[in-house]
Amino acid sequence: MGAGLFGYTVRRLLWCIPVLLTVSVIVFWIVRLAPGDPVDTLLGQRYDPAVADRLRHKYGYDQPIYQQYFTYMNNLFHGDLGVSTRHQDFTVKQVVLPKMWVSTQIGFYAMIITFMLGIPVGVYAALARGTFLDPLIIGSWLMLDAIPIFVLIPVAQWFFALKLGIVGLGYDGVYSSHMILPILLLGLPGVAGVARLMRASVITVVGEDYVRTARAKGLKDETVIITHVARNALLPMVSIIGLSLPGLVGGELFLEELFGIPGIGQESLQAVLAPDFDVVLFLVLFSSTLFVLANVLFDLLYGVIDPRIRLGEARG
Amino acid sequence: MNAATVAEYYPGGELAPPQRWVFLRRLFGKKIATVALMYLLIFYGAGIVGPFVAPHDPNKQELTVQARLQGPSQDHLFGTDALGRDLFSRVLSSARTTIIFTAIVILTGEFLVGLGLGLLAGYRGGRTDTAIMRTGEVLAGIPTLILMLAIAASFRQRINDVSFWLQDHTWLGQDAKLWVKFTIVIGVTVPFSWVGTSRIIRGQVLSIRESTYVLAAEAMGASTWRILWYHLLPGILPIFIVGLSSSMAGIAGAEVALSYLGLGIDPPAASFGTLIGGAGGVRTFQDHPHLLIASALPVVLFFFAWNLLGDALVDVFEPRTNRR
Amino acid sequence: MSNRTLTLLMGFVAFLILIVGIVFVIAVVGGGGGSSSTAASTSPKTSSSGVTGDICQGNTLVTFGEDPASVLDPIQVRDVGTAEYVIEIFGGLVTLDLNLKVQPDIAASWKVSPDGKAYTFTLRDNVVFQNNRKVTAQDVKYSLERAADPANNSPTVTLYLGNIVGVLDRYNGKAKDVSGVKVIDDKTVEIDLLQPSDYFLAELTQPVAFVVDHEQIDKDPRNWTQHPNGTGPFKLSQFTPADKVVLTRNDRYHLGAAKLDSVVFELGGGSLLTRYQNNELHIGAVPPIDLEAVKAGTSSLSADYKPQPLMDTSYIAFNTRQAPFDDPLVREAFAMSIDRDRINTVLLYGTQRVATSILPPEMPGHNDQVAGYGYDPAKAKQLLAQSKYAGKMPHITLTYAGAGGDAPEILQAIQSGWQDALGITVDLQASEYSAYLRDLRKGTYQMFDAGWAADYPDPEDFLDKLFASDSQQNEQGYNNPAVDALLKQARTETDRTKRFSLYSQAEQKILDDAAIIPTFWPIDHTLVKSCVQNWPSVAMPVPKYRYISIDASKEK
Repeated sequence: MGAGLFGYTVRRLLWCIPVLLTVSVIVFWIVRLAPGDPVDTLLGQRYDPAVADRLRHKYGYDQPIYQQYFTYMNNLFHGDLGVSTRHQDFTVKQVVLPKMWVSTQIGFYAMIITFMLGIPVGVYAALARGTFLDPLIIGSWLMLDAIPIFVLIPVAQWFFALKLGIVGLGYDGVYSSHMILPILLLGLPGVAGVARLMRASVITVVGEDYVRTARAKGLKDETVIITHVARNALLPMVSIIGLSLPGLVGGELFLEELFGIPGIGQESLQAVLAPDFDVVLFLVLFSSTLFVLANVLFDLLYGVIDPRIRLGEARG
Repeated sequence: MNAATVAEYYPGGELAPPQRWVFLRRLFGKKIATVALMYLLIFYGAGIVGPFVAPHDPNKQELTVQARLQGPSQDHLFGTDALGRDLFSRVLSSARTTIIFTAIVILTGEFLVGLGLGLLAGYRGGRTDTAIMRTGEVLAGIPTLILMLAIAASFRQRINDVSFWLQDHTWLGQDAKLWVKFTIVIGVTVPFSWVGTSRIIRGQVLSIRESTYVLAAEAMGASTWRILWYHLLPGILPIFIVGLSSSMAGIAGAEVALSYLGLGIDPPAASFGTLIGGAGGVRTFQDHPHLLIASALPVVLFFFAWNLLGDALVDVFEPRTNRR
Repeated sequence: MSNRTLTLLMGFVAFLILIVGIVFVIAVVGGGGGSSSTAASTSPKTSSSGVTGDICQGNTLVTFGEDPASVLDPIQVRDVGTAEYVIEIFGGLVTLDLNLKVQPDIAASWKVSPDGKAYTFTLRDNVVFQNNRKVTAQDVKYSLERAADPANNSPTVTLYLGNIVGVLDRYNGKAKDVSGVKVIDDKTVEIDLLQPSDYFLAELTQPVAFVVDHEQIDKDPRNWTQHPNGTGPFKLSQFTPADKVVLTRNDRYHLGAAKLDSVVFELGGGSLLTRYQNNELHIGAVPPIDLEAVKAGTSSLSADYKPQPLMDTSYIAFNTRQAPFDDPLVREAFAMSIDRDRINTVLLYGTQRVATSILPPEMPGHNDQVAGYGYDPAKAKQLLAQSKYAGKMPHITLTYAGAGGDAPEILQAIQSGWQDALGITVDLQASEYSAYLRDLRKGTYQMFDAGWAADYPDPEDFLDKLFASDSQQNEQGYNNPAVDALLKQARTETDRTKRFSLYSQAEQKILDDAAIIPTFWPIDHTLVKSCVQNWPSVAMPVPKYRYISIDASKEK
C-alpha cells in the first residue's frame, strides 16, 4: 500500500474530507436537537406567534433538517458563513473572526511562555532526579497550576492593580501593557504540565539503550544530552504542541470574562447556550479542521524526525 | 534466552512476580509519594464513607444570621456557608462527586480505551490505524458540552420520569436523580475522552515498534497481544502514567470549572466548583476565609497528590539512570 | 536527517520563537493602545486611563453596559441592554423624563379628540437628524410604516402599536399601508386608534415608535445601523462587539445639548468593581457582601453609594392548569410557606425589597393596600390538609432558566422553606434559556421562576400582559373571568384614577388566587464617583446621559 511519504500525505489529506463532513452532519443535527431555537431566545418573554413564524421563515428553521443542511453547506462553499442570531447586526465572519484573532494571539504568546519555560524546567528536573530539587521545582510550578484560574485571576488583579498599582486592567487592544498580566496568567500555570511531561520523556530516553551506548562510547555528558536525549525526548512534545495548537482558537473563557477581553472563549459559551446555530457550527468546523490538519502535520513531522518510524505500514 | 538477558529488557530489572514487591518498596521509599498516596487514600475514603459519617445533612439549611457564615467550630468543623449549611458535610459530599466522576471517566475512557486503541493503532498501523485515528478525529470534533446540553434538554421530561420512578421504586431514593445525571454525563464524556491519549500513545508506539527487541520478539513468532503487553507497554508506561495522573487532576479541575459556571451536575450533589463559586471573590475571602479554604484546599491537594504521585511512579518504573 | 541538521533546525526554530517574543515586547512597550473597530467613522481616542490617567479630568463618562443583543434599529429592540443605547441615539414623538412622565420630544404638543381615538401631534420647528436634515411629518409616517412592515419582522410592533388603526392589518399582510397614521402637513401628524386608551402615549415612548431617516436606510439598508442617523442627544461613534459602545454628543439636539463630550460603555465586563476601585470606571456596583458596611457608612465606598430601586418584579409562577396547582388551596399553602424577609435579610444581605404585591412601588398605580399572602406556616399546613391533594401529592418540579449546576441560592432557600413548612420536597430543575421559553409556552411546567421588567410606567404593562386570559404572556394559564372583566374595562377607561382603582382590584384578586408568588423587587446598588454630577435616579431606562456632567473639582 502507498509508497513513501508523499503518498502517505496525500492519503491523509484526502481522509480529512469525509472526517469533516461527518463532523458537520453530526453537529448540525445535535444543535437542532434541543427543544428551543434561536427565535425563542430572540423573542424572550414577549413572544408573539405571528412574529415567531415570520422570523423562523426568515432564517429557514421551518424547513426540514436535511434541506437546511444542504443550504448551509452550499453557502459555506460560497464563503457565506451565516448570520449570528445573537448579534443580528453582523454576519458570523464579522462577529467571530476578530474575536478568534484576539484569542489566538493571546493564546499564542501564552503558549510560547509555557513551552519556553516548561521544557527547560522539565529537563532540569529530570537531570536533578534523586535530589530534593526535583520535587521542589516541579512542586512549585504545580502550585501555580493547582489554583483554579477563576480564583487566581481576581487575586492577581487585586494584588497587582489595586495593591501595587503597577498595572491597569481593562482591554485596550492586544498589544497594550494591560495584556501583560493576562498573558502571564494564561501561560505560567501551564508550565507544570509541560515540565512533567518533558521530565518523564527525558527519564525514559536516558534509560534507553542508545544513550547507554553513547555514554559507553565515552562521549561527554553534555554531548549526549544535546544530541541524543534532547532530540528524542522532544518527540512527545511535538505531539503535545500539535494537540495544543488548535486549542488556541478556542480562547480561554475565564480569562476573557475576568479581564474583559473580547475573545472567542466567552463567545463560544454564549453561542452554545443561546443557541446561535451558525456561530456554533462555524466554531466546531473550524477547530475540527485545525485539529485534523495539525494531526497530519505532526504525524509527518514525527516520521521525519525519528528515522525509525515508518508511517502507514501495517503490521501484526 | 536465559533469565539474565531477558531481565535486561524489562524495566525494574526483574521478572513478573517479585516485581510487584520491588515496585512497592521503591514507591514507599519516596517520602513525597507516600504522603501523596496517603492523602489520596484519605480523600477517596472520605468520599466513599462520607455520606454515612457526615455529622450533618449537607443540604440542611439554617437561615439565620447567627448560623450562617460561621467559622470553624466544634459543631461545624469547617464552618457554615451562606445558607447555614455545614461545610464539612458538603465537602465530603463534593469529594464523592469528584471521585465517582474521575474514576469512571478515567477507568473507562482514558485507561482502557485510550491506551488499548493507542497501542493497537500504533502497532498494527495500516487500516487499523486509519480506522481508529479517523474515528477519533470525528469524535474530537464534536463538542461534548453541546452534546450534553442537547441531550439534557431534549430528554428532560423522560429523564425526570425515569428519575422519579427510580426514586420511588428502588433503594436509590433521593439520590436517584443524581445517579441518572451521572450516567448521562459520563456516558457523554467517555466516548470522547480517549482520543488525546490514544494519539500520544500511538506516537510513542510508532517509535518503539522498530526497536530491536520488538523486532526480535516478532521474529520469534510472539503474538500481537504478547508484544503489546510485554514489550510496548513498558516503554510507553512513564509517559502514560504522567498523562493519567495529570488527567485525574485535570478532570477534577474541569469538573470544578464546569460546576463553577453552573454547567455541571445538578443538585442535590454538592460539588467543589459550586462550593468555590459561593466562596470566591476577594471581598468574600477577606471576610470569610474559611469558605474558600475549606472548598478549594481539598481539591487543590487532590490535584497536587495525583501529579506528584505520577512523577514518583515514573521514577519507579525507570530506576536505572545512573545518577550524576 | 542527520543529527547535526536536526539540531540546527531546532536551534533555528527556538531562535524564531525568541524573535517573535521580542517583537511582542517591543510592540507592547512602543504601542500602548488602539483597538480595531468594525463600525465606520471616527473613533475618538477614549481616555481609558487606569493607573496613569485620571478619569475625572476631561469630559467623558466611562461606565459599563451590556453587549447589544439586537441591531441598533429601534424597531428590533426588545431587551434593556440595547434599549439603553437606542433611547440616546434616537427619539420619538414623545419621551419619558426623569420622573417617568410623558413629555414632548419631536412633537411640540398634541391634541386628543373628544372620543379619545384621534391624536393630532404638532412637530417642533427645530428638530433635525444628526446630519442636520429637518424632521417632518413624512418621516414620522415612514418610521411607523416601517415598524408595521411585515418584511422587517419587528418583534415589538404588535405589542405596543397594535392599537393604532391599520398596524395589525399591515403586519398581517392585509393592507399595503397603515391607514391610521395620517400626514396632515409638514408639521402635523394624526394618529387614529382602534379604541381610546389612557396609556397610548406611554406606549409611544417605546423605541418601536422612534423616528428613523429614510434617506439613510434607502441608501444603505444592510449596514445603516452601524452609523445611524437619529434624532437623539448622542451619536453613535463606535461600536465594537464585546468591547465598547461610544456615544458622542449631538450638538444639534433640540431639547438642549448634553454636557458630556462622550459616554463610553465598556461591554467586556471583567472585574468591574476592581476596575472601579482602580479609577478606570465612573460607575460601579456594590458587592452584596459589602452592603452592610457601605450602608452603615463605614466602607470606603460609602460616599459613592447611590441605591436605585428598579421597576421589576421577581416571582414564582404556578401553572394553574396542572396538578397540583389547579387547586387554589395548594397554591395558597405554598405562598404562605416562604419567609421572604428572612431570605432577604440573611441570604441577600438586605439587597432587595420583599414584594408584598405585584406592582413595584415606583410604578404609578402601585397601591400599598394591595397585599399578597404573608408568611404563615401553620395556616399553610392547614390549607394543604384541606386540599384535594392532601396525602397524594404528586412530584413537584420548579423549573428555572439556567444551564445545570447548583440552583441559585434563593431558590434553594425557598425549597428548604417548603420542605420545613409543608414537608414537600420540590425538585429544582434547570433548563437552558431557549428550551425554557419553549416549554413555558407549551405549558408543561408545574412551577417556574420568572421575572418581569416594566416596558413603560403603567400597570397595564404588568397586569394585563401577564394575567389576562387571552394574553400571550400568560404562561400561568390563569383564567379568572372577574379579573378579565376588570382588565378589559381598564383598557378603555380614560379617567386615570378610575383606571388605577380597577387595576388595584384586579391585582388583589390575582394575589388572593395566588396565581403567582411575588418574591422580590430588586435594587441596583450603584456606585458613582464623586466627580460625576447630576447622576439621575430612574427606575427604568429613560434618556438620561445628557443631564450628567463631570466636575474635577468635586473629586475626592
